[in-house]
Amino acid sequence: MKQLRIVMVGDVDAGKSTILGRLLVDLGQVTPAKLAELESTSAKRGVAIEYSFLLDAFQLERDQAITLDLSRIWVRLPQRDLVFVDAPGHRELIRNLLSGASEVDAAIMVVAADEGITAQTRKQALFLHWFGFSEITVAINKLDLASDPKRAYETRRAEVEAFLAELGIQARAIVPVAARSGDGIVKAGPLTAWWNGPALLDALTGIPSRVPDPTAELRFVVQDVYRRDGKRFIAGRLDSGTMHVGQRIVFWPLQTSAEVTSIVNWPAQLDAARAGQSVAIELNSRIFVDRGAVASAVGHGPELGRALQATVVWLGATPASEGDSLRLRLGTREIPVTLQKIEHVVDHETLEPRPAETIGAGEVGVVAFVARESIAADAGFEASSLGRFVLMRDGAVVAGGRVDAVIGRAKGEGATNVIAMHSSVTAEERARRNGHRGGVFWLTGLPSAGKSTIAMAVQRMLFERGRHVYVLDGDTLRTGLNIDLGFSEEDRAENVRRTAAVAGVFADAGFAVITALISPNAQDREAARAAYPDGFFEIYISCDLSTAERRDVKGHYKRARAGEMVNFTGVSAPYDIPENPELVVDTVTHDIAESAAALLAFIEERILV
Amino acid sequence: MTSGFDDLDELESRTIFILREAFASLAPLAMLWSIGKDSTALLWMVRKAFLGEVPFPVVLLDTGMEFPEVYAFRDRLVDEWKLPVHNEPCPPESEVDPTLPPAGRHAARKTAGLRNLLAREKYRGIILGIRRDEQAIRAKERIFSPRNVDGSWDPRSQPPELWDYFSYDVPDGAHVRIHPLLHWTELDIWRYTQREGIPYVPLYLAKDGKRFRSLGESNITFPIASDADSLEKIIAELEQTREPERAGRSMDNETEDAFERLRATGYM
Repeated sequence: MKQLRIVMVGDVDAGKSTILGRLLVDLGQVTPAKLAELESTSAKRGVAIEYSFLLDAFQLERDQAITLDLSRIWVRLPQRDLVFVDAPGHRELIRNLLSGASEVDAAIMVVAADEGITAQTRKQALFLHWFGFSEITVAINKLDLASDPKRAYETRRAEVEAFLAELGIQARAIVPVAARSGDGIVKAGPLTAWWNGPALLDALTGIPSRVPDPTAELRFVVQDVYRRDGKRFIAGRLDSGTMHVGQRIVFWPLQTSAEVTSIVNWPAQLDAARAGQSVAIELNSRIFVDRGAVASAVGHGPELGRALQATVVWLGATPASEGDSLRLRLGTREIPVTLQKIEHVVDHETLEPRPAETIGAGEVGVVAFVARESIAADAGFEASSLGRFVLMRDGAVVAGGRVDAVIGRAKGEGATNVIAMHSSVTAEERARRNGHRGGVFWLTGLPSAGKSTIAMAVQRMLFERGRHVYVLDGDTLRTGLNIDLGFSEEDRAENVRRTAAVAGVFADAGFAVITALISPNAQDREAARAAYPDGFFEIYISCDLSTAERRDVKGHYKRARAGEMVNFTGVSAPYDIPENPELVVDTVTHDIAESAAALLAFIEERILV
Repeated sequence: MTSGFDDLDELESRTIFILREAFASLAPLAMLWSIGKDSTALLWMVRKAFLGEVPFPVVLLDTGMEFPEVYAFRDRLVDEWKLPVHNEPCPPESEVDPTLPPAGRHAARKTAGLRNLLAREKYRGIILGIRRDEQAIRAKERIFSPRNVDGSWDPRSQPPELWDYFSYDVPDGAHVRIHPLLHWTELDIWRYTQREGIPYVPLYLAKDGKRFRSLGESNITFPIASDADSLEKIIAELEQTREPERAGRSMDNETEDAFERLRATGYM
């Protein structure tokens, strides 16, 4: 039978480690040598036998008799292994509790009979609730300190029941124990002789393990793309549902689809993948797929939007404020988002929402984020792995969260403003007639990265579909409009400015404009955005220098290396890699057809009304 | 082939997921191969994850004190699996912290070898086959465990690790330890080795009433009394035993905090 992973919560002195230590000793899983060591370690610190020393591995933990970080303790039983995740109860270590809670099947809350439900316990229970625990097991500990154990238990039981009911959590069992003496842990003892219910161990063994849900929607999260012997394999994990050879699947957020032609768990070929399985798949067509994508069954995709409403647990030292720039990680996708609104923070004393300007460390809040690109997500923890995410700031995880709702395109997007007011024909009217909006798709990348090639290929594809499209190619413009400009920093900036202005006019006229300029300077590119702020998309055509130089389509690298060309980007002039491009097309791992397909899908999604 | 999805499949799938996350987010990347049962099973899963290839160097931190059977096994597998192996010689004992107990000093040679390797190759990710159930300090590890620039580990300020969102961002000169086997137990490893037919060093099997349960260098590792001369018997033995796996590793057991001190300064 599958092992059962259990997280233990409770205040710092509630006796979590003692319960675990006692469990190990009473089940005969501690060697006589280890028991002797425990006795001597305890004696050294002048205490009677301290069971928690079995678990608290750090010297500091033993010296202060506290648990510093998560521990995992294996308890082997004939029918199944129990793996306990012991989460420290200190206020500042909430992040450990969350880390522990995110990997387990069940939770035990330990309440000391002499203290009852403390502020810390309330807070931990609140987190368990948000982490999707609808049922927990409770141990009322330290009955050895009570003059009347039965009465002490009953008082606390009523308190616990009322509290859990408030949260909407069921108590699977509320068990009386005295961990120090072992009563009620593995079996009843003198202090719990009056109790008719199960001992703690019995209460735990019947809890079912959480398993990936094969009946849930198919969600295949793409981790990488590997090439072997000329074949392309899409590597990832089927987080939920089932997927079989011959099935047509849709990749999000681009919504391109293809049929699965093979499923590999190397070296085995499978007919189908099961929920939870890591596999690599092949497709029947060369659609663009990359890390960050997620596949679904046809007609059963995630929701798509530019904004999320979510419940977050803030972990960062610096509080979150409206307007903060963060990075959202959802599935294997990582994109920049802005914290648009803090709806409220939940007070852990009253459990009531209260308005707040910031969310501090350890607080739970309801918020809204917006992104510049589409996010594919599912609402709720239970729905799929696309319902939970983390937020990053400066490379560190600062929050965990649950998607509550996916909100459609941000209001007003694509609408015209300043420019349209000067024109007798509005952009909306043009869009209605053309069947699509205009936009500027600004390709940037090293020489020979593939900008012009991809731009020309996509222009053809869009034209065949009846779209109004035009390519502004850097080299071509330098033969006319920009003939007076060279390659100094100032001239490059002017080159970008003029091209952006022309692109803006074309876009305003309803065209999808694709520009193909090296445009090496990040500031110049940011300035170009102003030429058509409602529909400007920076697209990084990514290719490393050595590959680009090997291609050397125009022989320029060779000449630059020979010193015949000065200020040549990548050789003798810098290139600023875009920090937050709206799209990255990697032309090292993707060929021209795949790269063009990616850009085509991206443009279509943005211009179609 | 459509089959059930059991415990071992789930463990394997999670390890493959972790390996692919490491490969996608950390470069350059290398794996430490101690040639023991754990890192050899891990190497098997690396081949699964990357469709038969091993896309990063596989490093042995070599003190010159491994058992002859271990070196022979390495050479055989390097040849059979076409492994991109790198042998990293470890500095002599005279270069390590003299206040450590004797066997600990020996283990610290490996830490020093690793430090040299990192300084020279600038690896941002190091994959290791440690498990949480083998040692109480290791039980506190994260799957992606960022190290300081000096290679040290601060277990009091570990990053949160929520669901499968790992922390891979470290400053230049620092690295992330990746532990794809943390969630496995000793018993799981042997059951998996048996099921998959993964090769292992024959020293794990009992000979004349003794076998090695955990393999370290020949001078600081001792066999246990055992008659388990087959995988079936090893598995049966482990289902019964209460003795800790690393009881024969003297470096862990010299003083109460021996292993903690080794780990804090960068030991595996």
